[in-house]
Amino acid sequence: MSSDRDSILSRVRSALAPLPERAALPDWERELVIMRNARGAVDAVALFSERLVLVNGTPLTSAADLVALLEKNGWRRGYCDPALWPGLQAAFPATFTVETLFDRSRVDDYQFGITAAAGGIAETGTVILTDGGTSRRLAALAPWVHVAVLSRRTIFVDVPEAVAALGSDPNIIWCTGPSKTADVEGILIEGVHGPGIQVALLVD
Amino acid sequence: MKFQQIDQFAANLRADTRESVHSGSKAGHEKRTSVLFDHYADPNRLRQIAGEIKQHVVENLDTYLPAVEARLQANGVIVHWASTAEAANEAVYSILQARGAKKMVKAKTMVSEETELGHFLEKRGIECVETDLGEFIIQIDGDHPSHIVKPIIHKNRREIATSFERHGLGAYNDDPETITRRARAHLRHKYLEADVGLTGANFVVAESGRIVLVTNEGNSRFCLAATKCHIAMIGIEKILPRDRDLGLLLNLLARSGTGQQLTVYTEFIRGPKAAPQEDGPEETHVVFVDNGRSEVLASDCREILRCIRCGACLNVCPVYRQASGHAYRSVYPGPVGAVLSPLLAGKQFPELADLPKASSLCGACNEVCPVNIPIPDLLLRLREKGKREGSEAAAAATPPMGAWSVMATQPAAWKLAMFGGKIMNVLPAKYIPVPALQAWQAKRTLPAWRGGAFRSWLRTRAQPAADVRSAKSEG
Amino acid sequence: MLNHERPPITQRRVQLMATCLCDAFYDDVARATVEVLEHLGVEVEFPEGQTCCGQPAFNGGDWEASRKVVRHTVRTFSGDLPVVVPSGSCAAMLFHGAPLEFEKESDRASVEALGRRTWEVLDFIVNGLGITSWPGRYDAKVAFHRSCHSRGTGTGEAATRLLGSIAGLTVAPFGEGEQCCGFGGTFSVSFPTISSAMGGLKLDHIRAVAPDALVSADMSCLMHLGGLAEKEGKPIKVLHAVQVLRDALRQGGLI
Ligand code: SF4
Repeated sequence: MSSDRDSILSRVRSALAPLPERAALPDWERELVIMRNARGAVDAVALFSERLVLVNGTPLTSAADLVALLEKNGWRRGYCDPALWPGLQAAFPATFTVETLFDRSRVDDYQFGITAAAGGIAETGTVILTDGGTSRRLAALAPWVHVAVLSRRTIFVDVPEAVAALGSDPNIIWCTGPSKTADVEGILIEGVHGPGIQVALLVD
Repeated sequence: MKFQQIDQFAANLRADTRESVHSGSKAGHEKRTSVLFDHYADPNRLRQIAGEIKQHVVENLDTYLPAVEARLQANGVIVHWASTAEAANEAVYSILQARGAKKMVKAKTMVSEETELGHFLEKRGIECVETDLGEFIIQIDGDHPSHIVKPIIHKNRREIATSFERHGLGAYNDDPETITRRARAHLRHKYLEADVGLTGANFVVAESGRIVLVTNEGNSRFCLAATKCHIAMIGIEKILPRDRDLGLLLNLLARSGTGQQLTVYTEFIRGPKAAPQEDGPEETHVVFVDNGRSEVLASDCREILRCIRCGACLNVCPVYRQASGHAYRSVYPGPVGAVLSPLLAGKQFPELADLPKASSLCGACNEVCPVNIPIPDLLLRLREKGKREGSEAAAAATPPMGAWSVMATQPAAWKLAMFGGKIMNVLPAKYIPVPALQAWQAKRTLPAWRGGAFRSWLRTRAQPAADVRSAKSEG
Repeated sequence: MLNHERPPITQRRVQLMATCLCDAFYDDVARATVEVLEHLGVEVEFPEGQTCCGQPAFNGGDWEASRKVVRHTVRTFSGDLPVVVPSGSCAAMLFHGAPLEFEKESDRASVEALGRRTWEVLDFIVNGLGITSWPGRYDAKVAFHRSCHSRGTGTGEAATRLLGSIAGLTVAPFGEGEQCCGFGGTFSVSFPTISSAMGGLKLDHIRAVAPDALVSADMSCLMHLGGLAEKEGKPIKVLHAVQVLRDALRQGGLI
C-alpha cells in the first residue's frame, strides 16, 4: 500500500506543479455564519429551548416533567447513566424499570435512554454528546426516547463557538432533533435508526 | 436523427418517475433557498468564501495530504492509500480479513459507490448491508441511487412497499411510517451483529485530524456505536484546513443539501473510542481514495474537486428534473456529475463525453453551489475536450459548425445567407434537409425569416445611424 | 458576478451589435434598440461587417470554429466605444465566454478588451447611462422572463426597474423565475424532449398570470417559448424589453 501512497502523492505533486500560483487560504469573520436572528442573543438557554422545539425536539426543565412525559406515553422501561440516576431516582415512581447497565443484547427493551450531554448549541437547538461525558453511545441512540441531561451553563450560543470548543475527545456528536428521513417521497418520518423523541432536560 | 442519449432517456422515462424526481428536487431547491435567505443576509458571501477555502485545499493537496496523514496517525488512526477503485476495495477487504470479519454495515458513501465495494465484498462472502434507508431500498432492489442526497428520489411508496414485501419485510404496506419502522427493526440487528462499520466522510480536518460525518437518520452513528472497527473511505479532496472552517462548511452543507440549519447528526471522530466508553470502534481506519481524482486535479476542471456533495445543483437543474439521475449512466448525476463522471472515467472519457452536453448552460447550478463551482464553465471546457477527442456520444445531434464559421467570418457570404434564408418562408421544413431545423420545427414554429430587414431599414430611414468611418475620425 | 468592471460611460456614442437572431428574424428589436438609444441622445454606429458573436460553436464545443468568429467580431468592433447588444446571452458570450475560450491564445487581451466594453442594452441604459425610470406609457400586463445569461449581471434588475417605472405597465411576477426556459442554443435541437418540456413548464407559469405579453432581454428564449406556444396552438405575444421601451415612447408621443 505504500506504493499507492507514493504514487498518489507524486501524481498530486505533478498535477499541481504547473500552477503559477496557489490559491490562498482566506480568513473569515465568525459573524458571517451566525444566523441573523441569533446574533447578539443574550439568553442562550431561552434561545436553545426555542430552537430545539423548531427541530421537533423537546426541552424540559424538571425531572417531574420528564416522568410525566414518559408516563403519558407508557414508556416505563429504560436506561439511565449510573452517574445521573441518584439525582433523578426520586422523581421516578416504582412503576418504572430503569437499568443503569445497558445490555446490548436487549436493545429493544429500552424505551428510553438517559445520558449526560456535554453541552448544547442555542442557535440550532443542538445537544452535544462526547465519549468522555456520555456513558454509552448505544443508550443515547437505540431507545425510542433519548433524554440528554444538559447543564444550562454549557450551552454555546452559536456553531462557531461550539466548533472552537470541540477539544480532544475521540468522539463528539451533535444531535439536532430526533433521527429523521425524507427518503420516501420526501415525507418527513422521525425515528429512523436513532431516537424518535429527543429530549433535553435542562439542569443547573 | 439520433438525439443525445440523455434526451432519449428522458423521452422514455416513465411519467411517474419523472414526476417523483421533478417534485422531489423542486421541493429540495425551494427549501434550500428559503432557509438560506431567511437565515443569512448575504448567503452568496458564504458560498464565495467556502469556495475559496476549498479551492485553496485543492491547490495545496500536495502539502495537505501528508499533513492530514500525520495528524490522523498521531490520533491513533491507521491510514491506507488507494490509487484505484480495486485498490480501495482490496484495502477494505484486507482490514476485514485481518479481523476475521464476516459482516459489515455501511453508511452512505459515494466513494464506495464509485468503487462498487458492496459487490466486491459480497463476492468474497462478506455480508455488506446498506443502512441509509434509501440506500437499503436501492440494495434490496439491485438498483442504483439516482441522487447524491436522496438516493431513491425516483421511487414512489408503492414501489418501495412492493420491494419490502418481496424481501420478506412484512405484508404490502405503503405507509412511509410503516416502511421506516420496518427498516428500523430490521437494520438495528444488522448493526449489532456486524463486525465492521464502514462510512465515508464529509470532511477531514488537516489541523486536528477530525473526520466529520453527517447523517439525518443516525445510521453512521449506529455503525460507530455498535461495531468495534470503523473504516472511513475518503476521497483525497475531502480536506478542510482548520476546525474553524467547519463552522462555515457545516452550516452551508446542511442548508444547501436539505434546507436544515444542521444535519441531525454531526459526528466528529478523532480516532478509536477511549475508556471508559464501552461502545464504539477500537480500531479506526482511513482509506484515502484517488480513483481518478489526481487526474482531475491535473485538468483544467480541478474546481470540481471543491464539491461537498450537497446535491443542490441536482435539485435546481431543469435537465436533471426531466431526465432523472439514471440518465447520467454514472455514480454522480446532475450538473456535478456531468463534470465529474466523465473526468473520473479516465480513458473512458469519450463514452461519457455527452454528459457535459446535457445542459442549457443556464447557470442555476453555479448560483446555488455552496462552494461556488463555476459548473457551466467546466461543462464548456469538457464539451471542447469531447469535440477535440472526437467523442461520438458528444457529437450526436450537434449541428456541425464548419460552414457556419466560414459564413460568419465573411460579411459578404453572411449577407447572402441572410437573403437566402427567406426560402424557409415558402418551403415547408420537411423539404429542407437540415436536421437541426427539423428538430426545431418538430417542437416549435419558426418565426418568419426577415434576413437583412434591419440593415435595409438602417440604410433607408430618414435619420441614418452614424457612419462608422466618420465616427472613428472624431473618436 | 459575471460582469467585468467596465469603464464608465463618458460619451454618448456606441457600437451596436444587432445579433444574428435580429439580423435574421427580429429586425424590429434591433430597430427598437436604435430608436431607444437615439432617444437617449446616444449616437449609434452599426459596423456593417458584423455577423454573430461566436456563441453557437462555443457552446457546441467547437472552439476552433468559435474563435475564428470571435476574432472576426473583435476586428469588426474595433475602437474603444461601448458595444451595446440587445441580448444578455450574446453580451455574456463577449465578456465571459470568449475570454474563456481564449485563455491559452496569444490574442486573448484583445478579446478581453472587447468584453470589457460590451453591454447588454438594458444594463447599459440603467447602469451605464444612469437612467432608472422610463417615460411614456404602455398599457399592459407583462410577464418578464429573466433570461439565464443575465444571471450575475445587471440586466435582470435593470429590466424590472425600467419596466416597472412605465406608466400603465404592470410586471406580473410568476413562479420558478430561476428556472431556464430550455432554449440553450444547440441544446434546443440536440435535446428536443428536455428542451421542450422545460419550455412547457415555463409557459405554464407564465400563462398562470395571464399576461398580455411575455417580455425578456433575449430573443433566443422568446423564439423558443413563442415557438412552443404557437406549435401548441396557444400562441402568446413575445416582446424584447427594448420594444416595450420604444413603444412606451411612441404611446407617450415622445418619438
Ligand atoms: S457541485 Fe456544488 S451544488 Fe453540486 S453537489 Fe457539489 S457542492 Fe453541491
